[in-house]
Parts: sequence; structure tokens; C-alpha cells
Amino acid sequence: MVETVVRVENLVKHYPPNIKAVDDISFEIGSGRIFSMLGPNGAGKTTTVEILEGLRNPTSGKAQVLGTDIFKDYSKIRKRVGTLPQNFEPFDLLKPWEAVEYWANLYDIRISKKEINRLLESVNLMDRKNQMSKKLSGGEKRKLGIALSLVNSPELLFLDEPTTGLDPKARRDLWGLITTIRGKGTTIFLTTHYLDEAEKLSDDVAIMHKGKIIAEGSPDELVEKHGKATLIVLEGAGKAGLSTLRERGIDASLDQMDDRNVIVAVKKHSEMKEAMAKLATSDIAMDDIYTRRETLEDVFLNLIGTKMEDGELKE
Amino acid sequence: MSRLMADVINFGKQYLRSKIGLFFAIIFPILLILVFGSIFVGGGDSKINLHVQNLDQGPMGEMFIENLSKAGTFNVINVSTSESITEYIKNNSLTVAMVIPENFTVDIAMRQMNASIPGLVNVTIYGDPSKTTYSVVLGATGALTNGMNFGLANATPIVGVEGKPFESTENFNYMDFYLPGIIGMTVMTNALFAMTSTCAEYRQRSYFKLLATTNIKKWEWLVSKFIFYTVLLSFALVLTYLVGVAVFNMKSVLTPMAFVLIAAGAFTFTSMGMLLGVFIKDPEGAAAVANAVGFPMMFLSGSFFPLEVMPGFLQAIAGVLPLTYLNKGLRDTMVYFNDSSAVVNFAVVFICGLVFFILASKIMSWKEK
Repeated sequence: MVETVVRVENLVKHYPPNIKAVDDISFEIGSGRIFSMLGPNGAGKTTTVEILEGLRNPTSGKAQVLGTDIFKDYSKIRKRVGTLPQNFEPFDLLKPWEAVEYWANLYDIRISKKEINRLLESVNLMDRKNQMSKKLSGGEKRKLGIALSLVNSPELLFLDEPTTGLDPKARRDLWGLITTIRGKGTTIFLTTHYLDEAEKLSDDVAIMHKGKIIAEGSPDELVEKHGKATLIVLEGAGKAGLSTLRERGIDASLDQMDDRNVIVAVKKHSEMKEAMAKLATSDIAMDDIYTRRETLEDVFLNLIGTKMEDGELKE
Repeated sequence: MSRLMADVINFGKQYLRSKIGLFFAIIFPILLILVFGSIFVGGGDSKINLHVQNLDQGPMGEMFIENLSKAGTFNVINVSTSESITEYIKNNSLTVAMVIPENFTVDIAMRQMNASIPGLVNVTIYGDPSKTTYSVVLGATGALTNGMNFGLANATPIVGVEGKPFESTENFNYMDFYLPGIIGMTVMTNALFAMTSTCAEYRQRSYFKLLATTNIKKWEWLVSKFIFYTVLLSFALVLTYLVGVAVFNMKSVLTPMAFVLIAAGAFTFTSMGMLLGVFIKDPEGAAAVANAVGFPMMFLSGSFFPLEVMPGFLQAIAGVLPLTYLNKGLRDTMVYFNDSSAVVNFAVVFICGLVFFILASKIMSWKEK
């Protein structure tokens, strides 16, 4: 049986006069899993994670982290939890190895040079260990942040939007790093507004919107439960193709990710072959035709009714 | 290493690597002592330029000018008799000028022969009463005319004045009195300005939140800043003092009590900076607030000007500023060697610091509400 590392019940956080940042949410995170809280900016993700880090007080509700009621005594578990805050910036005028040593000392940990090197190596920062932190790239700064969050060998690691603002390569690097950390048995609570990140990394995802969790499960379960169907993509068919299909009574729509494409959703797997053949032999001009499984992006679109780009909802 | 020492060392590394911090802690007080020392002690020609128009045709006018020159206070500059003195003053933007009247010699001679002629034979001093030079010229000329009167009357002065500097301070120069003010100001500016902006930066970059996830306590963080600033400022001020001694031959002494006062000042102004930092969100705002509090305090606390020359209401304000007591305490111990008075001033500074420290520790929250 999987041990529960985080248990949240009916958590509420209100700000005056009437902002419901977190509105009665409940969830659990099992040991050794990557749990992603996915949602647009302002959904309440950071407020939730900061409550669980002991940095904010809730309005009401219960929360246990590593078996401890965090509203009673966080100091008991402080040393077992690691934190990478949103938009982490390291101390500009400390070198990475100095920052790691400093941070370890703040946790009352005596850390040897060897251990510092091992930690920096694990986040691929060894060749930058003597560089002043202000000279590190955005991705390297986040890696240093992750190194700091690991100095106490935490059982639970909170990563609040670790890849926001990074270029695609740096994001992929961090994904690899996060997967490696999980591989060592650390439970990871990740907040993100990147749908691909949540889908790629997570064992469990909670989609949060306006302070509420509106869907929860593994990426596959979410697609299964909230996805409409398997999709046939008519690449390059455009608006002309869409109207032709509709004239013929076929339920189709423009791809919200790329409006040059037309999408036909097939709900039953048994109907797929026939539908595919029908569309492939039609006289609609297109560049390609293929099927794709719905993703979290589609699920999000289905649930919220609008796309999300860089954390902002596109109305 | 303990959390406290780790914080002292790593905060110190960052501070010393910041060129601005290093400049204001180490270089700036040395520059101040050199600049002010050059102005007040550095030899040079400290005589007042006195423009004199001699309208007298006889020898007394010439003699008066000669005595003015010999007095050692003035560089006498002759003004042509064809000039209008008021126009001359205006055209040359003078703050003071003197006119020896026509018939100065004749009028003196007539009064010597006939003592019943009423009135004095005056030289006229034009000037701006708000300027120090005017008072100096007025005083020195008064003394000169007095001596001249004795000479003309063939009288011998009986009552006089003898200047006797305090034994403890007789070898001191102006810079010895000025140095404690520079020390007080340096302690205040470094600790207060740096802590206010540090707090704002820590909040803006979420360092407080980050610190709150570790084992370090707020009081440890604040005490570590106090330790760092005490060590840094003590070092900086020993350097400044040594420069003052080497360049200006200062005789004031960096007593153990001076170091105690520096520590008390560092404690008070780091705590005050942290308290101000509670209410500030960004480093720009921090600079504005620190300037708004620090600069008036610098000028009103006797760092540069003696409190006695200030109007009563400003002296009353100075009375509630901790820097006033730090400056007084430093002068007590370094110049007057009066440690019992310095202890009283130390107590005031320390109590202020304790109040700021407790308030800052209570009010400041590393967590969000």
C-alpha cells in the first residue's frame, strides 16, 4: 500500500474582501509520486503550495504533510521537506558551491566539499560551481535552486513552477532532473501551467481553476474521463474543409491549437476505420490526415472551454 | 558551522563583493576625513580677503591698513578711491568690505587736541550679517581700533583675556572633534541604509520565504547582521582613524568604549533598518525611505555641526535621535576621555536599539498572511 505523504481536506484560503484563492480543495499524494497541480495563473496553485510549505496560514481546512498536522507544528518536518519557490533567484554574489554550503548550514547540516560537488553534479552545475550566481543562465539558476532544495535530502520536494520562463532546452533538462530525483524515491509536488510538462512528468494531476480542483487523476485517467474521443486531424484543410464536412453532415471543428487543421472526433473505436476511410477518400484539400489521442491540452480545453498559453487563459 | 555564523559569513561575502557596499563602508569615511581635513586643517591660506577703500589722505589710514595686514587674519585688497564702494561690493559679490573715511587722520588729530569734540572717528564695515566673515571682520577690527585707542591715549591696557584650552584637548585640532561625527555618520548610513534595502530586496526576491523554509530564526538573522556590521564598521573606522592620525596628526583616541559605542550603533541602526524594511516592498522605495530618515538625522545629530549652533526646535528634534547620543558618546570617550558620560550615551543608544530590535522581530513576518 502506498503511503500518503500529503493529505489535504477541505482547504480554504480567503483574502479580504472576498477573494477565494483556494476554495475547499481536497487531495492526497502518495509516496514517491510526482503530483502536478495544473492551472492558469491565479488559479490558487502557489497559495496551496505555500500553505503546505508552512509559509501561509489557511482560512480553514486540514492538511497533513509527512504525517504531521502542519498547522500545529511545522518545525517537526521542516528538515524533511525541500522547496523551490516560484521565480527562484539565487543570491547574486555567492558562487553555487558557497550557496549550497550556506543552505546546508541553515538546515544545521554539516556538508563536506565532496557532498557539495556530488549535489552540484546531480544538477549538472559542476562546471559552473565557481561562477558568481548572477552570471548563471535562467536554467542554471533553477538548477541551483533545485540543488539548494535537495541539501537536506528531502522526502517531499515542492517545485513551484520550476520551468516558467525557461527556453525549451532548459525545460527539457529540468524535466530530466525532476524525473531523476523522483527515481531516488523523493515525492514531488509540482505546480505548473504547462500542460505538456504535467502530462510528461506526472503520475497524478489535479487541474485547478478559480481556487477549485475541477479534475483529478493520472494523465491517462483524465484523458479517458474528460477526453471526448480519438481525433482525426485533417492537416491544412482549413475553414473551407470545415464547411465542406459540415455540409455533408459530419461533426467537425477547427483545431484550437492550430486553426489550419480540421478535427473530427470519433467517439467509438469501432467507428474509427470507417470514418478514416471516408475522410481520406473525400475530395477535401489537405496536406495530411492522421489520428491522435487527446492530450491534457484537449482535456483542459474541454473542461475550461478555452486554451491556456504561458499561464494565461485565451478567451 | 552554526546557522548564525554561516549567515554572518555568507552575508559578509555578498556585501564585500558588492563594490557599492565596500565603497560606502571603507572608502567613503576615508574620503570624508581627507576632504574635511584638507579644508579645516590642511594649512593653506585661511586668511579672509578684506577689500578696503582708504579715502584718507593722511598717515593714519595707511597705518590702520598696515595693522590690519599685520593682524594675520586678513589679506588686505585695496579698492580704488574712484570707485563707488556699494557698486564695487555689488559687482564683486563681496560679503564684506571696509571704508576708511576721508579726513580720518585729521579727525583723529582734532580729537586728540580737543577731547570735547563729540562722536567717534569710525571706519565703516559693509557686509552681510548672516555671513561668518562679517562677524570675524567686525570683531577683529573692533580689537584693532581698541588697541589703536590705547596707543593714541598713551594708555596701558590693564584688563585682558587669556585663552586657555582644556588640558585634555589642548593638542587637538578641529579634525579630532570632527572624527567622532564621521564615525557616527558612517555607522548610521551603512547599517540603516543597507539593512533597509536588504530587507526590501529579500522580500522582493522571496528570500525571506526561502529562509522561512530553513531552520534559521528571525532573531538569528538579525543578530548576524549586527555582528557583521559591527566587525565591518570597526575595521573601517580603525582604517579611517589611522589615516586621520597619519595625515592630520590627530590626537583623539579610539578607546575600547568607542568600539562598544560602534557596536551599539550597529545594533541600533541595523534594527532600525529592519523595522523600516517591514513597511517597504521594493529596493527603490527602500532607498527613498532610508534617505528620508537618514539624511535629516545625519545633519541634525551633530555629525557635522555642533548642536549648540542650531535653533531650539532643531535641538529638540536632535534630542530624540539616537545618532545624537552616538556622536556625543564617541566625542565623550575619544576627545574628552569622559567614559562615565559616554556610558550614559551608550545606554540611550542601546535602549533605542533594543526597542527597534524587539519591534522589528515582532512585526516583521517572513511568511505571507
